[in-house]
Amino acid sequence: MSKYNTEEKVSDYIDALNNEQKSEIIGTTDDQELEKLMATVRLVRTLREPTLPEEGYPHRLAQAVSDKLKKEKQSSSNQSVKSAPKSIRRILPPMAALAASLLMLLLINWFGLFDQDVVYAMEKAVAQLSNYHGILEIRTKNAAGVEWLVRQVEIWSEDDKYAIKQDDGTVTVNNGQQKWQISQEKKEVVLLPLLPDPTGNSFDLRDEAKRAKQYPHTIVGSELVAGRQTTKLAISPPGGREYYLWVDTETNLPIQLQTAMQNALQTTYTFVSFEPNTEINPQRFAYQVPEGYQVVENNPGQLVATIEEAVAISGLNPLLPEQAPTRILAFEDGIVFDYGDTTIKETLPEGEFVLAPDAFLGTAASGQLEVWQERLRWRQDGIEIQVEGVQRVELARQIAPDLALPNSNQDLVSKAQVKVSVDKEIVEADQKQVDRGSSPWQLDPLQVALVFVNLKVTPEGIQGEPVIPMSSFKLVENNSAEAVVEVANGPIERVYLKKLVRQDDTGIWSVVGYDPR
Amino acid sequence: MISADDYKKAKEGDLKAIENICVVTWEPLYRFIYYKVQNREEAEDITQETYVKTLTYLQKNNAPQKNFLGFMKTVSLNIIRDRWRRKKRAGVIVNFQEINPEETVNIDEQNDIAQRLFLKSALAKLSQEQQMILDLRIIKGYSVAETAKLVGKTEAAVRTAQHRALLALARILDDEG
Repeated sequence: MSKYNTEEKVSDYIDALNNEQKSEIIGTTDDQELEKLMATVRLVRTLREPTLPEEGYPHRLAQAVSDKLKKEKQSSSNQSVKSAPKSIRRILPPMAALAASLLMLLLINWFGLFDQDVVYAMEKAVAQLSNYHGILEIRTKNAAGVEWLVRQVEIWSEDDKYAIKQDDGTVTVNNGQQKWQISQEKKEVVLLPLLPDPTGNSFDLRDEAKRAKQYPHTIVGSELVAGRQTTKLAISPPGGREYYLWVDTETNLPIQLQTAMQNALQTTYTFVSFEPNTEINPQRFAYQVPEGYQVVENNPGQLVATIEEAVAISGLNPLLPEQAPTRILAFEDGIVFDYGDTTIKETLPEGEFVLAPDAFLGTAASGQLEVWQERLRWRQDGIEIQVEGVQRVELARQIAPDLALPNSNQDLVSKAQVKVSVDKEIVEADQKQVDRGSSPWQLDPLQVALVFVNLKVTPEGIQGEPVIPMSSFKLVENNSAEAVVEVANGPIERVYLKKLVRQDDTGIWSVVGYDPR
Repeated sequence: MISADDYKKAKEGDLKAIENICVVTWEPLYRFIYYKVQNREEAEDITQETYVKTLTYLQKNNAPQKNFLGFMKTVSLNIIRDRWRRKKRAGVIVNFQEINPEETVNIDEQNDIAQRLFLKSALAKLSQEQQMILDLRIIKGYSVAETAKLVGKTEAAVRTAQHRALLALARILDDEG
């Protein structure tokens, strides 16, 4: 190889690297000198900043990696399936068999590949949803296949404002300043407390997108729903029954939900008309009393500017978190602090502190803390405090710094003096029964303890009122997975329970031990 | 920060978990690979393959979460070595010394810095003109024609000068390395 050639090759190699071409263009050589020079070029080149990928690379990379992993997973499971039906394969001509398995692979990959995309896109679309107007139809079907329309509601939703019109013409509006209900039938406008606001529909777009992401899901098909092309997703909550969600392929928003058959009934929520990110007349959320209508004030509270005003109206000396609220609503007997996604409600306590039966227990201000769904409730300095929403723990801790949430890893049941053996099959069958809507008492540790203790007293069965009444039972610990119930009288002093199938709020309790008196 | 949950979910192909891992690790890994291959497209390909191989490996084995990046760098070096071996078979030259996986044991920031210092001191031993030509051609990325204009030489003279400069640099590196 002549020196001139080597010079030129090295120069071409430098150009190729500068132009981000792959090194193959160099061609073949056994020239040791050239090899060394090229290595030296690469080494010198390490002193320059690498050419970085185009913007959005990490996301594209993650997508490609995710797709590839799923593809590999699918093809390996496909391989194990493929070996079984030998007789069929023998019948098929080799080319047809090859084509068929390629098609199968393609279909499996297609669905496996894109279910993550659908849910990801839905989550993004829901996050970007500024407003919508739609008609939601709620239909129920029984096990015999008979379907009927339960009701139809029209919804307008924008930021924190919404208006819901029922079949009977009743309209509920929350415009962020006020909440009211207009009843055509009674010709009245009822002012309702603005906060906390439990009103919502059972098919919340944001919740559905969140759930779909949380639980295992697969694409099961593509269907036309209310004239829209959708992707049908099957969602399987752990230990629960599969349900379906239809996602509009154009807007990536969920437009139909079908629950599993529960207690021989199945409900389908469908947006028969749905306009996302549309124009909504601001008058829709404006408070106006139609002529001839009466205004009914049901202690709706009023927005105030300062704590002092709230104290004057409520007669309550509230406990204040460090973080300032965005709004304060004062009632005759309470104050609500609003933080957008979270509210703190402080009221004067009435009677004993009674826990919701399916609540978990923590501690706050040296007393019991009720943890129920997205709500925390406890008593402190003669005030009952209820914090609800996303920031509940942070805000509650600003009022009660000693607040401790239930720890589901904490062992509560091993100290039981007598262990009760549990038949897993029976428990699983019971759980399925409860999932179908039967025997919901098994979700309440107090009820489960009551049945257990009374069956010890009257083994032949509980007839009429139980010998040891409900008032004798008190929940003393519940960390969401394990619970302890104290019994005031009878042969058993303490009952230990555990959620054996599922630890979320749909899991049933089983007695795993007790302390005899 | 990558959580243990992310590693667990990523193995199953969970997009969000993979994205969490990629966001934290892609750049140092990509840079590391780029230094070896000096080509964007190839670096992107190998980066992707590294994640797939690493996560596939983790499906059967425990995650070396403590030095996940170091582990991925080792995986990437193996991929580069395999690719270059294939190229060698296809007749393309490779330098195996550059891609010795053992070196990953010592891969860290200090090592990179030491290598850069060593290289810079070797470059400093070249003549001013040679340094300038290598800087213009390789580090700044000018073409032969542009370099020729900048240094006031013919294109042929630039090629000859860059060839001589590289030979001299390779010799210095050999002597001192």
